[in-house]
Amino acid sequence: MKKTILLLSLIVAGITVSFGQAKKPTIMVVPSDNWCNLNGYMMEFDNQGTKVKIPDYKRAMQENTDVLLVISSINGMMAERGFPLKNLESAMKTLESNAAEDNMRSSKESGASVNENPIDALKKVAKADIIMQLTWKINKTGPKKSVTFILQGLDSYTDKQIAGAQGTGAPSMTAEVSVLLSEAVTSHIDNFNSTLQAYFDDMFENGREVIVRVQTWDDWYGDLESEDYGDDELGTIIEDWMADNTVKGRFNTTDMTETMALFEQVRIPLYDAKGRAMDTRKFAKGLSKMLKKEPYLIPNKLVMKGLGRATIILGGK
Amino acid sequence: MKNMIKKAALGVAMVAFALTSNAQINKTKKAQKDTEAWKYEIECVGIGKPGTKVIKVWSYSKKASVANAQAKKNAVHGIVFQGYAGGGQGCTNQKALVTDPTVGEQKKEFFDNFFDVNGGKYMKFVSHSADATPEVIAVKIKGYKYKVGVIVTVNSNALRKDLEAAGVIKGLSSGF
Repeated sequence: MKKTILLLSLIVAGITVSFGQAKKPTIMVVPSDNWCNLNGYMMEFDNQGTKVKIPDYKRAMQENTDVLLVISSINGMMAERGFPLKNLESAMKTLESNAAEDNMRSSKESGASVNENPIDALKKVAKADIIMQLTWKINKTGPKKSVTFILQGLDSYTDKQIAGAQGTGAPSMTAEVSVLLSEAVTSHIDNFNSTLQAYFDDMFENGREVIVRVQTWDDWYGDLESEDYGDDELGTIIEDWMADNTVKGRFNTTDMTETMALFEQVRIPLYDAKGRAMDTRKFAKGLSKMLKKEPYLIPNKLVMKGLGRATIILGGK
Repeated sequence: MKNMIKKAALGVAMVAFALTSNAQINKTKKAQKDTEAWKYEIECVGIGKPGTKVIKVWSYSKKASVANAQAKKNAVHGIVFQGYAGGGQGCTNQKALVTDPTVGEQKKEFFDNFFDVNGGKYMKFVSHSADATPEVIAVKIKGYKYKVGVIVTVNSNALRKDLEAAGVIKGLSSGF
């Protein structure tokens, strides 16, 4: 009897815990391209005749103390709010050490090295679900200095600005730049968090906003306009599945051709039917499974990108 | 005869005490109602240390001393329910900690205790600024004679954490 009660208690506790925890997005503070460009922290490449500039975060972190001060202040304040952030400098160091380890690693039995395809290599960048993009500029009017400060919260998958705070601080003749920057962070972080909280509240009420893409391999015999799979075109069947499985049927069909479909502003539930936390991969897995089964029997490959983007490629693995 | 005088004096003293106490209670009640009715104004006067807000609170009363005493309570009430607009001294606008307008009614009992003038918890989160001399302005508003401005520092971080722990507002990581 006691064992039964204990078992039941554990099951109830398990269900409660699994219902209480949605997947937590990762956040990282990154200096903006604009700031890196104005301060000379850019790398230049010749991409088939076109000059391409990309920010050199590593050099910025190594050479600019102000950027460290601002990132450290924001990280500290967010940790104090119970939401510790990923640190850009640490993330870059981890990537480097992982790459070095992978290069050196070999199988004890066969001497084989670690597998890495070109996509894996492309994905090896410092990333987070939400980027806190940081820009500041020192304004000088005669002997007076002030700081214009912009903090943007950007969703890595939907490209939407989900939070923000900006403004110009009081001019000062005596305060050092680092003091002005600290004041700017202090005066803006609460407003930023307030808008971020509103985004999370909306997410808990209306589901996580994500992007789902459907593509086709070029050797696949079928297409999304085909009517061989039922009463309607395959694209419409997929749209119907989206309408049935999104929160309150919310999604936009941004693009639909015979070879691809793009669904934006897709609101997915935070938990699946078993009460487990859901991300876009798990959500898209449902569509992938449906297409593999009868009457469709379409082999497909599911590719994910973080919490908020998934792609299904029809026609094979 | 002496006994009679003693008894009379004691009686007068008791009546005077009761009247004074009653007047004090009435003033306190009125001040409490004024806070609930938003009869105060707050403005930012500078950037404080991280996690704090330095604000000037303008309270109204027939007696300048009562308005002065109400300043701390009004300051905390303002940070919780009102927020303030930005301005000079690098001040940016700040939203209220409570964003849901119905929370005040839903958690009425909690807030009645929290803002109780006789030992309410709000005192824990506010202090007079070191160089704060109250600014007293005579006003001609029915029921009020003075408008008193006092600079106070509110420990907004600790206040927010306390409200989160009490379940009045949600924390940034709640639900994850």
